[in-house]
Amino acid sequence: MSVTIDGIEVHLAGLESVWQAGMHEVYAFYRARATPAVALAAAMVESAVSLQELGDRPPTPPHLLLGDLCLARSSRLLASTRDQRLQVGFARAVEHVAAAAAGGPPAPPLRTLLVAAIGGVGG
Amino acid sequence: MITRRLDVPTSHATEFVDITARLQDEVTAAGLLDGRLHLQSLHTTLGLTLNQGRTGGPTPLPLPACTVLVESGRLVLGRRQSVFAVELDGPRRRQLAMQLEGDFARPARADAGQPGLDLVELELTRQLLVDPSAVQAPMRRLVEAGGKRLRPLLAVLASRLGGEHDPLRAAVLAAALELIHDATLVHDDYVDEAATRRGRPTVAASEGAARAVAIGDYYFAKATRMIAELGNHDVTATIANAVEAICLSQMDDVRLRGSYPGDYAMYLRVVRGKTAALFSAACRAGAQLGGARPDVVERLTRFGDLLGIAFQMADDLLDYSASSGKPLGQDIRQRAVSLPLIYATEDATRGQRVHDLLDGPLDEEQVREVQELVVATGALDRVGEEARGLVSAALRELDEVELDGVRPELTDLARSAVDRIR
Repeated sequence: MSVTIDGIEVHLAGLESVWQAGMHEVYAFYRARATPAVALAAAMVESAVSLQELGDRPPTPPHLLLGDLCLARSSRLLASTRDQRLQVGFARAVEHVAAAAAGGPPAPPLRTLLVAAIGGVGG
Repeated sequence: MITRRLDVPTSHATEFVDITARLQDEVTAAGLLDGRLHLQSLHTTLGLTLNQGRTGGPTPLPLPACTVLVESGRLVLGRRQSVFAVELDGPRRRQLAMQLEGDFARPARADAGQPGLDLVELELTRQLLVDPSAVQAPMRRLVEAGGKRLRPLLAVLASRLGGEHDPLRAAVLAAALELIHDATLVHDDYVDEAATRRGRPTVAASEGAARAVAIGDYYFAKATRMIAELGNHDVTATIANAVEAICLSQMDDVRLRGSYPGDYAMYLRVVRGKTAALFSAACRAGAQLGGARPDVVERLTRFGDLLGIAFQMADDLLDYSASSGKPLGQDIRQRAVSLPLIYATEDATRGQRVHDLLDGPLDEEQVREVQELVVATGALDRVGEEARGLVSAALRELDEVELDGVRPELTDLARSAVDRIR
């Protein structure tokens, strides 16, 4: 998936390596279901959870910080949509997955939660 | 538990130094009501003993460690008993490690007595209560350990500057800001390998790194949701931008640790993101939530930015203060971008030695030497002056603004951000 087609490259500054390492495939999955900004936000959340190895072993500090940046940028992208329902849905998805990773109640797969949050937002 | 280091200078080859009053001061300052004070000598030729002073009976053998009970905020000692550090090879600068554990009074904060902050505390408690225990308990310990609540207070005060002021909504924003701040601390402490925070074990130290990462993520997401649920898109955008700035700056900060000492421009760039971004966003978002005029929003944004930089400068100085409750010399060990270190290296006579020391591995003696060199260069005074100057500049931003009665509180808060360095 070319970043120039959707005009999303401006949001990938500092995350180029993450994009190359697989975020582009995740983006393609969500792009079929959502606008470029929302699809990229979802891909960033998935990448963050993967980088930080939530529920597994501790990440290296660089991966932790990259993951934090992915989460933060995802929030900014969602803020730009001015869609409260999406913002809340994405946040709840991360809450579920993070709580499970910390030893809380089990959570559905992150992708299931994000797709549900995206719901009817078309691309 | 609270951890401290106690400096004990000695002036003779052998000497009994009565430290009872200082220990009582530490207990009082920490708010320890009932518990234990543990002391441990950090030197092979410095012991500790509980005895009746020089005129008392036989002196017990000095030991490397001792524990004193605390009841109702007082050291439990016999009428003639005192606690002595026993110098056996002085005179030297000595240090004792001290731990306080037990039941503490709720710590006082800079915001004590501020109307609106009670609502914030209630909101924090309410939010934490509904969280899964796996994440709630560690975060509650961090939240309840204190912190100055400067960011929430800024948001609450700024929210009063418009026609749409709603104390409950302001409390939600303020609580979310505190959770964002605390979530970043949880992750920072893992990255920095810090053992303690606010005098207690860090979340990473007590829960393990993997859980700490998840807990930080949980509260970052939760705070984001709390803000989104307020339904004010300007506020949502302000906080989202600030959080991204914090993350970028944290990456910058870690990357720059290999390029010590850095310069003033580099320092400002890191500090603007690491600290000032959330101060500034707290002011801006508070004003936006309250419906303040655009010019007031902009003025408050600049006020928060300058105040945040001043706050970080004051925080840098705590690395050199034994009474701060923070581990001494941490910035030096990490070779962090820190203004006192930058200024110390500019000193014509001592700067090169500071450079040389920081170029190699540092043992504790060398960390102490760097501290002493920084003090000797006058760098701390210079940073203190600069921080106070920034607070004045921040307050000048508000000169032309109608502040609807919150000027005294904003002024007090701004001054309190650097008062701790006096």
